[in-house]
Amino acid sequence: MWGEVGGALVLLLLSEVLDCIGISPPGKPVLINCRSPEKETFTCRWDPGFDGGLPTTHHLYYQKEDSYGMYECPDYQAAGSNSCFFNKSHTSIWVNYNITVVAINSLGSTVSDPLEVDVMYIVQPNAPENVTVSVVETEESPHLLVKWEPPHEADTRSGWITLTYQLRVKRQNKKESEWEEYASGKQTQLIIYSLHPGEVYMVQLRCKLDHSLWSEWSTTTHTEVPDYFLKERSIWIVVTVFSAFIILLVTFTLAMKRKYVKHCLLPPVPGPKISGLDTQLLKSGRSEDILSSLINQGFPPTIATKDQQVDYLLVFDSEQVTPDLQNGQTRTNNSIDHGCYDHSLLMEANNKEVKVGGRETVEQGYSEGLESTFRKTKGLSTDVTSHPYPQKKPFNNVTETPKQATVSSKYRSLSHHKDLWDSLARHLDYRETVVKSQSNCDDKHNLSSQNIVTPSKDIGYVEVHRWTKSIGLKVLVPKMDKRQDYSKVSVVENDNVVLLKRETVPLNCTSCKVGGNQSEKCLQQKPCKPNMTVPAKEGVHIGSNGYVEPVTMSHTL
Amino acid sequence: MARRSQGTKLHLAVLCLVVSCHAIGLSDLMERASQRSDQLPVLGMFSFSLDSHFPPMGRVMMPRPSMCHTSSLQTPKDKEQALRVSENELISLARSLLLAWNDPLLLLSSEAPTLPHPSNGDISSKIRELQDYSKSLGDGLDILVNKMGPSSQYISSIPFKGGDLGNDKTSRLINFHFLMSCFRRDSHKIDSFLKVLRCRATKMRPETC
Repeated sequence: MWGEVGGALVLLLLSEVLDCIGISPPGKPVLINCRSPEKETFTCRWDPGFDGGLPTTHHLYYQKEDSYGMYECPDYQAAGSNSCFFNKSHTSIWVNYNITVVAINSLGSTVSDPLEVDVMYIVQPNAPENVTVSVVETEESPHLLVKWEPPHEADTRSGWITLTYQLRVKRQNKKESEWEEYASGKQTQLIIYSLHPGEVYMVQLRCKLDHSLWSEWSTTTHTEVPDYFLKERSIWIVVTVFSAFIILLVTFTLAMKRKYVKHCLLPPVPGPKISGLDTQLLKSGRSEDILSSLINQGFPPTIATKDQQVDYLLVFDSEQVTPDLQNGQTRTNNSIDHGCYDHSLLMEANNKEVKVGGRETVEQGYSEGLESTFRKTKGLSTDVTSHPYPQKKPFNNVTETPKQATVSSKYRSLSHHKDLWDSLARHLDYRETVVKSQSNCDDKHNLSSQNIVTPSKDIGYVEVHRWTKSIGLKVLVPKMDKRQDYSKVSVVENDNVVLLKRETVPLNCTSCKVGGNQSEKCLQQKPCKPNMTVPAKEGVHIGSNGYVEPVTMSHTL
Repeated sequence: MARRSQGTKLHLAVLCLVVSCHAIGLSDLMERASQRSDQLPVLGMFSFSLDSHFPPMGRVMMPRPSMCHTSSLQTPKDKEQALRVSENELISLARSLLLAWNDPLLLLSSEAPTLPHPSNGDISSKIRELQDYSKSLGDGLDILVNKMGPSSQYISSIPFKGGDLGNDKTSRLINFHFLMSCFRRDSHKIDSFLKVLRCRATKMRPETC
C-alpha cells in the first residue's frame, strides 16, 4: 500500500518536473475526415495535436465490421502528411470502418476518438477537368458552349460511378451579379444563351457522384463575348428613329397642303363641253327640254350624200299604213314640180309624229341647219333672238308630244310661228315659188294659211309650204340653183380669215379652156361671156356659232 | 362456343403480339429501374435528425450495422467484385434486397405514428412514400427479369425477425433509426447494382454509363 502510494507520488513529481521542462506526452489527435473521390479508394486525415515537445509519431488503426483484428494504415505517404491512404485492395464499400489514430512519443501515446466510416457516405469527387468555354457566333445570337471532362480518376465507363454536373455563370463586370446555376445532368457540355455583348463571363463547374457530396467548384474560366452585336442593334435603332421622323415630317406636310395634294393626285376632270349644250338647262330637269337640246346637237356629224337626201318623207303613225306612205312619197317627190299637191298629206304628217327608220340622223342635221338659218334671220320673235348662244329652248306655245320630241316637232313648232314665212322670204337663201293651183285638186281640207315645214333636199334648209286660196301653194325653197359643194381653201391669211376658192360654171357655157391647144376640143355653142367667168369674190365670215362659213356673193348672171 | 374461344384465343394472341412489338426494350427498362432506385427517398428520412433525439449514452449500446437483417446476404464489397458478378446474380441480389424490406417497412409504418418525435406525422408519410417507391421498383424489376430469362429469377429469401421496435421510447427511437440506416445502405446497394447492370446492358453505347 505504501509502495503504490509512493509510486504514484513519484509519477506525479515526474510529470510536474517534465512540465517544468516542457515536454509531455502527445496531445490527442483528431480525425478530421475521410474522403473517397471515386468510390474505390479513400483517404483519412487527422490533426496531430500537440506533440508534447518531443518527436511524435502517429499511427492509424482501423477495424472493419465484418472481420476481426486491428489493422494499420497501409500507406501514410501517398496523401501527404498526417494522412492515411487506403488503396483499392484495402477499400471495401458498404462496410463500416472503425478508425483511430494514435500519437506516440517517448513519454506516452494518445488515442484519438474513433471515427465510423462507411465508404458509401464519404464519397466526394474531384472537380471536373478541362473546362473549355467557347463563344459560338450564330446570326441570331451568340451563345456560350461549355465543355468539360469528368475527373480523371472517376470510372464512368463501367457504371460503377454515375456523375451529375452543375454549372454556374457570372458576369465579371457587374458587381452585384449573382451566380446563376444550371444543372447539367450527366452531360459533359452545356449551352448558355442570352449573353450580354462585350461582357466577360466566369464559369465554374462541379459534380456529384450518385448521392454523394458535391465536389469543389472548378477553377474559374473567363470568356469574353464580343460586342459587335450591340453595334448592329444600335444602328438599326438609329435608322428606325430617323425614318420615323421623316415619315412624321412628310405626313405633317401633306396634311398641311391637303388641297394641293388632292389637286395633284386627283386632277379635276373637265366637264363635257359640247357646243350648244347648256348645263343649266340640264340642271333644270325638264325632260322635254333635255331631250330636245340633246337632239339638237350635230351628233353624229354626218355628211349628207345623195343617197341620204330627200327621200325623206312622210311616214305616218302605225295606224296609218303604208299605202298612204307610198303615195305620199311619190307625190312628195314631185311635189313642187307637178300638179296636184296634196297639201293635206303634209299637214297630217306634220301634225303627227314622224317616224322614219334610219333617217333620223339626217333629220337632225336638217333641224340644226334650220335652227342656224333661223337664227341668222333677224326680226324673228324674241323667243329666238333673245338668246344669242345656241339655245335649246323650244317655242313655248307649241304643244308637243312630251315623250318623243322628234324632228317633226321642231318643224311643227316652226310652222306655227307667225313670222316664219315673212322672215324666211326675206332670207337670202330662200326664194318663193308658186305652185299654181290645179283645178283637179280639190280643197279637201279646209286649210287655213298654215305653214308646213319640211326639210329640203339640201342640208340645213327647209321648205315651207303655204296654201293660200287665192294664189295657190306657195313654196319657199332654198336658192340652191347651183350645186354648192364645200369650198376649197385657197389660202389662209390670218388666224380667222380663210380665202376660199370657187370654181364657177357659167350658165350656158360649156367647159372651155381659155387659150392653149385645147381650143379645138371646146364645143362652143355660144360664146362665153368673159365676165361670166370672173371668179366671184370670196370671203369668209365667222358665224355666230363659232364656225367658219363661206359667204357667197350674189351672182348676177 | 368452341369457335368463340378460338376467336378469343386468336384475339389474345394478336394482342400479345402487338403488345410485344411495342414492348419496351431491355435497356430502356434498365434505365427506368435505375432511375427509380436512384430516386428512392431514403435520404429524406435522415433530415429529421433522429439521432439528435437520442439521450446521451455510450455508443456501445448502439446496434451495429452488422446487425442489419440483410447482412446475411453475400454481396460484392468493392468494384472489382461487383464487376465480376454476373448480370443474373446482380439482378437477383437487387430483388432479394428489395423484397427483404417489405416487412420492415410495414413495421415502421405501423410504428411511426406513435414514435416519440415531434414530426412523427411527417415521418409516417415519408414511410408510406418509401413503400410506394419500393413497390413500383419491385414491379419494374419483375418485368425486367421476365425479359432476361429464367436464370435471373432466383430470389434469396431474407427473413425479418424484428417483432417490434422496443418497449421504451428511447429504444424505439434507436431501433427506428437503426432500421432506417440499414435500409439506406441496402437501397444504395440496389442502386449501384442496377447501374452496373444498366451499363452492361447497353454495351453499344458506353457513353451512357
